[in-house]
Amino acid sequence: MSERNMNLIRGGQLEVNHVQCFGVAHEKAWSVPPDESNWMVTLDTWFEHQLSLSNRQFPIAILIPSDAEFDDDSNQQIKELCQANIAFIAIDFPTYTDGRGYSLAQLLRNVYGWTGELRAVGDVMIDTVYYLARCGFDSFLVKQGHNAQLALEALSTFTDTYQKSYRQPIQKLS
Amino acid sequence: MYIYDEIDQKLVEQRVAQFRGQTQRFLNGQLTEDEFRVLRLQNGLYIQRHAPMLRVAIPYGMLTSKQLRTLAYVARRWDRGYAHLTTRQNIQFNWPRLEDVPEILAKLATVQMHAIQTSGNCIRNTTTDHFAGVAHDEIINPLIWCEIIRQWSMLHPEFAFLPRKFKIAVSGAEVDRAAIGVHDIGLQAIEQDGVFGFMCFVGGGLGRTPIIGKLINPFVAWHDLLTYLQATLRVYNLHGRRDNKYKARIKILVKDLTPEVFAQQVNDQWALIKGGADTVTEEFVSSIANKFSWPTYETVSENDNAVMAHHLTTNTAFARWFRTNVHHHKVSGYSAVTVSLKATGSPPGDMTADQMEVLAEMADSYGFGELRVSHEQNIILPDVKTEALYALWQELNVLNLATPNIGLITNIIACPGGDYCSLANAVSIPVATAIQERFDDLDYVHEIGELDLNLSGCMNSCGHHHVGHIGILGVDKAGEEWYQITIGGRQSGALHLDKKSSQDNDERSRCGASAAIGRVIGPSFAREQVPDVISRLIQTYLTLRESESERFIDVVDRVGIEPFKKDVYADPLLSKYSNLVRESNV
Repeated sequence: MSERNMNLIRGGQLEVNHVQCFGVAHEKAWSVPPDESNWMVTLDTWFEHQLSLSNRQFPIAILIPSDAEFDDDSNQQIKELCQANIAFIAIDFPTYTDGRGYSLAQLLRNVYGWTGELRAVGDVMIDTVYYLARCGFDSFLVKQGHNAQLALEALSTFTDTYQKSYRQPIQKLS
Repeated sequence: MYIYDEIDQKLVEQRVAQFRGQTQRFLNGQLTEDEFRVLRLQNGLYIQRHAPMLRVAIPYGMLTSKQLRTLAYVARRWDRGYAHLTTRQNIQFNWPRLEDVPEILAKLATVQMHAIQTSGNCIRNTTTDHFAGVAHDEIINPLIWCEIIRQWSMLHPEFAFLPRKFKIAVSGAEVDRAAIGVHDIGLQAIEQDGVFGFMCFVGGGLGRTPIIGKLINPFVAWHDLLTYLQATLRVYNLHGRRDNKYKARIKILVKDLTPEVFAQQVNDQWALIKGGADTVTEEFVSSIANKFSWPTYETVSENDNAVMAHHLTTNTAFARWFRTNVHHHKVSGYSAVTVSLKATGSPPGDMTADQMEVLAEMADSYGFGELRVSHEQNIILPDVKTEALYALWQELNVLNLATPNIGLITNIIACPGGDYCSLANAVSIPVATAIQERFDDLDYVHEIGELDLNLSGCMNSCGHHHVGHIGILGVDKAGEEWYQITIGGRQSGALHLDKKSSQDNDERSRCGASAAIGRVIGPSFAREQVPDVISRLIQTYLTLRESESERFIDVVDRVGIEPFKKDVYADPLLSKYSNLVRESNV
């Protein structure tokens, strides 16, 4: 892989992203991706096939859309998701100005107790990773056209913070 | 004045560095127009009719003489020697070059100023009473609470990309002078069982759909303020509409859910964070209070009353100014003074670099080097010794800064309008000037009494026309400028002039619900008709009022808009043109 594709910030360094989202483009016959590494499914697919997806040799990643509702209906399922054996949770940013993902991240971290990897995907820019990190994201798939190295450096844009209930941006992956 | 500590200073400097990098990337083609747009807006930078416009925050309206001198420097070096005070305690430069903006921001940072979050869909500059800290009727000092909110909201990681802009106003006094009823969140200090807290109004706002805020929580104790704000914002961030810009403000969410359901959702979110890390502690409040340099007032004897009485009886011009531009101070022997930036012929709220320097000088020589800017677009000298008022008036008068019109019809609140703003449908400044010229007889202006006249060049309502006792809105019809007139609007229950306010008024003014949206009197008018319409409205008022203490707004409240409407449209001169325009809803 060329350096150009090292656009995933994870654990404080750059990596190549190998994860792909299982979707319409894939074999119609499958309702879930094969038990191989680097697969991600949408939250709806997870809800539908929770049982099979939670018992994989290669844990699945879950993609949460920006308009996900964490309400009375989904409350229990989100709780279970955060306890399940999964690879990571990703939240989609259809455009960087759609700020719902920041609040969803806060809820996952502080209300549902998700302690695993939380990845920002979609319209993720040099200019947004700092706030994303403070809201609980610890990996970032930087969009095309944005220099991932600069995005990594942008995690230290500000050295101090006012809001006490949000974490500091630089966190090591556990 | 709040004095930055090391962390405050570092944050504004790091923000300048961040924006410098973003501007560079944009100029190098590494950030697209779309990507850069929101980033520059969150640093106060619009692209306007003639040039970029830079909006600089004056947090809760508080300014030092040193800062004002720096604004003068910026106006001269990077602009055309003037700037414009907005209706939200910000100041705007109309002619900077994009390339220069990082440099301007760096200069401002040296005097603890910034343009962070003065635009964009984020939490904007928190505003308050322009007499904050010196008002005689304060329950709490709102400056401290505004600073606490400033810190909490600045560079807030969760709420930088809201559905739409978000404005918070705080009233710490018994009378609301911060127009809390027309803000996304309006906070009114109150005391309950010996503990103070805030009544929390949500979903007020002007613009296309003017709505008065609803009381969502009658008492949020002071230590819970930030977690309650966080819960409110979180509900909005998650559920506010993002599919339609015109339905994206929190007022629409509150309306759609109903205030009761909205309040319940906020409570549900609040329960998750209440008592958490952002709970305000007594220690924190003291640490913020201690970072202010508070004025050290002298004990002034009131012996010089005789001299003052002499000036007041012998000098009509001074007496007029004293009546409208001098305000009661919490400390005996001191007064707050409004410097009117509403002299006839100068754009409302505009200030030249020379004026800035002169006012900085006066703030030093007549006070403690502090000033306030009001949402009515004037400058306040907050701590003038009462015995020095005559000398101050003489100085101001020579400079044409002593127009005795605060609270009166010629103190027109206006946006920059079509002369500057690319959103505007119509011009504002020439209309304001025409009205001021019409009402050039000061005796008559004083006889009319308290009257808020607000003027906006378009639906975005930057001139707050909905809450003017008389409101004027510029509308576009087939490429022509027309003006729609509303009456009966009110920004709050505050009385500017009449200290004899009734108990009833006091009660109303204690809550944001006392704000009111004006009602349209009928079809729009051509620009040249506007002064005639205003004259007609005033004549009707003067005929109808029962006494001099019954204000224009009181008469509209008592008799409704019909008599005014009838008189205006019965006037053959006015009806002749307006009949050409049949769209009654515009």
